[in-house]
Amino acid sequence: MSRPEALERYRALPMPTTSEESWRFTDLRGFDPDAFAVSSNGQSRVTVTRPMLDLDVAGLAVAGPDGIEIERAPEGIVFEPLDETHERLGQLVGADEKFAAHNAALWKHGLLVHVPRGVELERPLYVRISAPFWRLLVVAEEGARFSLVEEYISAGEGEAYSNAVAELFVEQAAKLEYVSLQNLSRETWHFASHHARVERDAELDWVAGGFGSKKGKTRIHNDLAGQGATSRVTGAYFADGTQHLDYDTFQEHIAPSTTSDFAFKGALRDEATSVWRGMIRVEKDAQKTNAYQENRNLLLSTKAHADSIPGLEILANDVRCTHGATVSPVNRDELFYAMARGLTRPDAERLIVRAFFQEVLDRVELEPVREALASALEARIPQA
Amino acid sequence: MALLELKNLHIALEDGTEIVKGVDLAVNPNEVHAIMGPNGSGKSTLAYALMGHPAYEITEGEVVFDGRNLVEMGADERAQAGLFLAFQYPHAIPGVTVTSFLRSAINAIRKARAGGIDDPIPIPEFRKELLAQMDRLKVSRDLASRYLNDGFSGGEKKRIEILQMAMLKPRIAILDETDSGLDIDALQTVARGVKEVVGPALGALVITHYQRILNYIEPDFVHVFVGGRIVEEGGPELAHKLEAEGYEAFTPVAVGEGES
Repeated sequence: MSRPEALERYRALPMPTTSEESWRFTDLRGFDPDAFAVSSNGQSRVTVTRPMLDLDVAGLAVAGPDGIEIERAPEGIVFEPLDETHERLGQLVGADEKFAAHNAALWKHGLLVHVPRGVELERPLYVRISAPFWRLLVVAEEGARFSLVEEYISAGEGEAYSNAVAELFVEQAAKLEYVSLQNLSRETWHFASHHARVERDAELDWVAGGFGSKKGKTRIHNDLAGQGATSRVTGAYFADGTQHLDYDTFQEHIAPSTTSDFAFKGALRDEATSVWRGMIRVEKDAQKTNAYQENRNLLLSTKAHADSIPGLEILANDVRCTHGATVSPVNRDELFYAMARGLTRPDAERLIVRAFFQEVLDRVELEPVREALASALEARIPQA
Repeated sequence: MALLELKNLHIALEDGTEIVKGVDLAVNPNEVHAIMGPNGSGKSTLAYALMGHPAYEITEGEVVFDGRNLVEMGADERAQAGLFLAFQYPHAIPGVTVTSFLRSAINAIRKARAGGIDDPIPIPEFRKELLAQMDRLKVSRDLASRYLNDGFSGGEKKRIEILQMAMLKPRIAILDETDSGLDIDALQTVARGVKEVVGPALGALVITHYQRILNYIEPDFVHVFVGGRIVEEGGPELAHKLEAEGYEAFTPVAVGEGES
């Protein structure tokens, strides 16, 4: 679809309202995506939120409002600015949804990561993003193995709009570790669609971290498209103040004998709110599917609120699907137990938060990512 | 003045129900006090309230610990000042190992004692002490790296409580039904551990239903606790009398009133 067509689609699609099921808990009143200048003129190059990670990387790209710079790229792979004529562009995330259409029409700077057949990278690839419209395209060819980390931070003060699309192709027997950390400013409306297609015997290991932004929606969509494909998505989020985080996850089992395992944990303080919506869909040919989805929320204040909505849609008859969702306040006796050993209330809360997230942190394979997530989570409990 | 002193202490639940109805007690280091009473007499309420559990309110009287008014201190400040409660039902915290929990607790207490400045225990020193105490208390070493009380047996939980006591070195320790749910071997180990820790620097308040634990930890004072009050006091011989005769003799006030 051409940019003018996408723009037309964007204009034709109404702004989502809370009368639509998937937007029921995320009210966009007061938000006008057209009010934000697409051009970056005058925007500060200084970032207002700091990156969480300090990695020893094989490839490094920095995408800002004015463009993308490839600061380092390993030999033997494609790690370069994304060309808008790329044939795979739009195959996974089209323009059927308001914000995806906006991205398709207006994205300017993106990144193409293409790792050829059989290539393994020891160190991760890393891209730091402070571009208002971001587009990522990843192709892991047959048998390729590598890690890609993207981190969203904010450039400039004031209310902002961030719109991101990521399309990931994980081909036969490839293994991709994809880490997406969102640490935008509290004044940023953030809308993102991440969609991966996992082919035969391929493995996708995905980590999503949500810390920043004001309000918006992050979609995480996995197609288990080839027999024996596996995807594992681990999410950790923490919101405070008046932040509102919204995750929409979709595990689409298309081929038989595929596995998906989604586990999200979130902690909420102050008046923060979150929505997590999960859907496992098993197509009728996808026999022997093994699918799991879990979302657990820890409320650290009485005004914090979380909605957790798991869902299953199963058209095959020989499958194993399990799910669990919980929203619970901090256990008063647990807090008392830790304080009775001398921990101050903030220290006790930090310990409980750390304990709560440990299970999902244990799933993160990249150690620096695991540590950055752990310290970002703990840092959200203020000192007394 | 005693190190821990309770004067006419009254304790109520959040709904206002009074459970402890005027208790006087004085505990000094190197003393073992046994508080013996039937279920529902308010013994555990007393233990929790002394440690500062938010579900219990001190409605009348006072508690002074080392010259400080305990009522105005949070549970953390009480622990930092040297008060310890061995829980009847220790809480599990999956995700935090025994080692990490203990180190956090020790460092929190050290920080408070250093006037709010971080003063973490050197890791080799901590490890050495932890292993020595674990061996002494017959706590299996593999528990150190497991999540706190997560899936532990009743005996393991109680040993971990005593291990925490040994590591935190309190000045007054309250043992809330530490004997309940233990077989005789576990009871002996736990009791021996308590006995070793009690000394010139530590006074203990042993709360129990049964006389059994007192065979291993000889109390200096026995207080019979019925219906939220101390109804009889004496030396170790009183515990034996209770064992032989039961609590009936002490129940002109209704037994079973309130909650344990």
